[in-house]
Amino acid sequence: MKVFAKKLIAVLALAPGLAFAAEGGYPLDRAPERNDLASLQNGAKIFVNYCLNCHSASAMRYNRLRDLGLSEEQIKNNLLFSADKVGAMMTTAMRPDDARAWFGAVPPDLSVIARAKSSPAGSGADYLYTYLRTFYKDDTRPTGWNNMVVPNVAMPHAMWQQQGIRAAKFTDQPDPHEPGKTVHAFAGFEQVEPGTMSAQDFDTATADLVAYLSWMAEPAQHTRKRLGVVVLIFLSIFSFLAWRLNESYWKQVK
Amino acid sequence: MGAYEETKLPADAPASAKALAWVDDRFPLSKLWNDQWGKYYAPKNFNVWYLFGSLSMLVLVLQIVTGIFLTMHYKPDAALAFGSVEYIMREVPWGWLVRYMHSTGASAFFIVVYLHMARSLMYGSYRKPRELIWLFGFAIFLCLMAEAFFGYLLPWGQMSYWGAQVIVNLFGAIPVIGPDLSEWIRGDYVVSDATLNRFFAFHVIALPLVILGLVAAHLIALHEVGSNNPDGIEVKQHLGEDGHPLDAIPSHPYYTTKDLFGVSVFLLLFSAVVFFAPEMGGYFLEYNNFLPADSMKTPPHIAPTWYFTPFYSVLRATTADFMYVVMAAVAAMVVFVWLKSKLAYRTKVAIAVIGIVLIVGMLPQVLDAKFWGVVLFGSSVVILAFLPWLDHSPARSLRYRPSWHSYLYIVFALVFVTLGYLGTQLPTPAFTIISQVCTLAYFAFFLLMPWWSTMGTFKPLPTRLTFTPH
Amino acid sequence: MSIEKQVDSGRRGLLVATCAAGGVVGVATAGALVSTFQPSERAKAAGAPVEVDIADVAPGEMKVVEWRGKPVWILRRTPAMMATLTKGEGELADPASDEIFQLPMPEYCKNPQRARKEHPEVLVTVGICSHLGCSPSSRLAAGPQPNLPNDWPGGFLCPCHGSTFDLSARVFKNKPAPTNMDVPPYMYLSDTRLVIGKDEKGEA
Repeated sequence: MKVFAKKLIAVLALAPGLAFAAEGGYPLDRAPERNDLASLQNGAKIFVNYCLNCHSASAMRYNRLRDLGLSEEQIKNNLLFSADKVGAMMTTAMRPDDARAWFGAVPPDLSVIARAKSSPAGSGADYLYTYLRTFYKDDTRPTGWNNMVVPNVAMPHAMWQQQGIRAAKFTDQPDPHEPGKTVHAFAGFEQVEPGTMSAQDFDTATADLVAYLSWMAEPAQHTRKRLGVVVLIFLSIFSFLAWRLNESYWKQVK
Repeated sequence: MGAYEETKLPADAPASAKALAWVDDRFPLSKLWNDQWGKYYAPKNFNVWYLFGSLSMLVLVLQIVTGIFLTMHYKPDAALAFGSVEYIMREVPWGWLVRYMHSTGASAFFIVVYLHMARSLMYGSYRKPRELIWLFGFAIFLCLMAEAFFGYLLPWGQMSYWGAQVIVNLFGAIPVIGPDLSEWIRGDYVVSDATLNRFFAFHVIALPLVILGLVAAHLIALHEVGSNNPDGIEVKQHLGEDGHPLDAIPSHPYYTTKDLFGVSVFLLLFSAVVFFAPEMGGYFLEYNNFLPADSMKTPPHIAPTWYFTPFYSVLRATTADFMYVVMAAVAAMVVFVWLKSKLAYRTKVAIAVIGIVLIVGMLPQVLDAKFWGVVLFGSSVVILAFLPWLDHSPARSLRYRPSWHSYLYIVFALVFVTLGYLGTQLPTPAFTIISQVCTLAYFAFFLLMPWWSTMGTFKPLPTRLTFTPH
Repeated sequence: MSIEKQVDSGRRGLLVATCAAGGVVGVATAGALVSTFQPSERAKAAGAPVEVDIADVAPGEMKVVEWRGKPVWILRRTPAMMATLTKGEGELADPASDEIFQLPMPEYCKNPQRARKEHPEVLVTVGICSHLGCSPSSRLAAGPQPNLPNDWPGGFLCPCHGSTFDLSARVFKNKPAPTNMDVPPYMYLSDTRLVIGKDEKGEA
């Protein structure tokens, strides 16, 4: 009981600090807003070219890309990679057993990945935006690549030719929590070989891809918000009428 | 009843009146309408806290209707379930709207029901002669929690799967029969397709039927004794010449219009969530549930849905260390009962014996903290049912109790919310201490109520309702 | 359940307005719910046009493909079969295909061959009997056979209730089936490839 009381007092004294206890993990960058159709179309192009080889998006139908302002002809001629009909789903030909043998893990389906990766640290878009831009060369890994957001990830850097090859620098710093110990701290990237895109262009391209993934996770979102405005305006009017109607009866009650 | 006598209306009466008379001669339609709503006289001083009963009914209807339409497209098969939900979201015309209404409705149901229960606490609506209304309501609450739990497995996401796995394994903590019971509930060694199919049956038809029956019983019990009110005094003490209470008004039209206004504001808030924030920061639609269930990989942070977290906190607070505190608390309670209560000697002896048995059972060598955690978890819910017999206050409503009683209720509410918040977080040592303190406070509020509810200077009760005209 | 109270005009106006607004809420919600019954994207995609290669269909042979869950027959008729189409039209219930079963008759098929002019010998028809939905069996050879008349020109016999159809899938008189079998919209992508479910007017 005494131990309990001591713990209790100690905890109450520390309580304010606890609210800000960090969860650990690489801090996430904010994904830029890219809601115009041109960006989303570019993101779709990057997605089918670089992601659909290994990943599937089996809840996404190719012809839903019409919502991004593309015609069926445009979809069929430029984006239809893993199927022969525009009404088909975005599946991958890679079999799960092969994937496990080649990469050690099955590449997850990306249909709703942007919704799955939200957390208190940032939105799903922030997570993916940071993840896709923090690959670095690591010869100790089977694929030769590692990642800051998902350490020891099984996925290689799909767009390494665009971003170029980067290495991560680490320094040993004294541990602030335990004196006498050192912590392996991240100290930035360095470009080992340039890519075909400048850093800014690569960021923009990744932002487009992430915007597309966010859209693909819930294609109805644009309709939802537009309709929501109409519904809220209407219900406000309805509430006002219901209020006045109620008052008109209750003023009789003494 | 006697011989059948047909109601005769004058020849020039409108056809609708004649049709109604035909039905009324064969079925108590008008009588039902008048007894249950039209001429059901309710106290005139109902405030905003009295909206949540009818809002609960609205949300129940909403869940049933949206649920029926979801069932037309959902597939209760472990291999197909997750995909079928995305099918509804993307391919079924307006499917996304039906899904969001159902997911938001589930959380809205608990918000409304908790506020409905809060009203009962504030105004003593569970006191004699309304104990049975409270017990039916408690049964509805239990069924609602089960309904939500079964429904949550259906999307077959990571949280669905692992949440079900953990909760069903709780039954494994019961001594002797536990593991077999868990296997029987699951229909398999782990949560699987068999579990999904039976939870689907419970969620779609079994529990909704039970809930509808209990809601009917809840309302019948209410109409038998009449409604309470914020002043906590019985309006039937002062009847008018027409036989109705002076301080009451017919529900139609007054509470029809008032509830309609309440419904419109509710729909406004509800729609704001459905159309602009259906995930509600991960509280109404958990982020982890957008990952298909993977029996090989447990998510790093499993938490139940927000409406279960207060009780879940109690479960997690019950560590091996905490058991000693609980044993001391049981002993203190027994001593307190012996010294302070006016119970019969035999009852006191029985309580002491039970106390000793409990304390022995709480020894680490006898039954472990995991078991007692489940017991406390269940007790934290069940103790609500005992409120009518724990509350001995001379005044039903908080309005006429000493002011410090109100502060105590506010503290209780804060304790409940704190437990709820802590249930969503990872259990750090500090959080565990806080949840243990809150657990003690939660149980103390109820178990000591027979004493503290009588303490202090009570305000004189009014003879007639206090009402400010509009 | 009418309100028997003195209703002043202001209150009546509010009642009407609130009921109207409430009605809109109800109709909108009901509309959305009822719309969920309509074919989903999956159903529509499954009903998309089907391309068929007919290079391997020799004269006198028939190929069966699926379109919208139903069997579609592609029959390449021999010159002898073509000759029977204009001869026995007196025995047919609707030789000019004025009546339809389920699909509108494409204009370009309103001829005795019920075929497009690019390849009049190729019959494309939905192989479902217009009586109660069974799929008739082929009886392409002419001449007397069990269950068929002695002057049988060749065609189809439905095993369920005995309806007979000629080599253009037109129903004979006095049979349970009321109309000819459906001809779907179709067009030629090349001499050996056609698409069912789509023509110059667009997709069906």
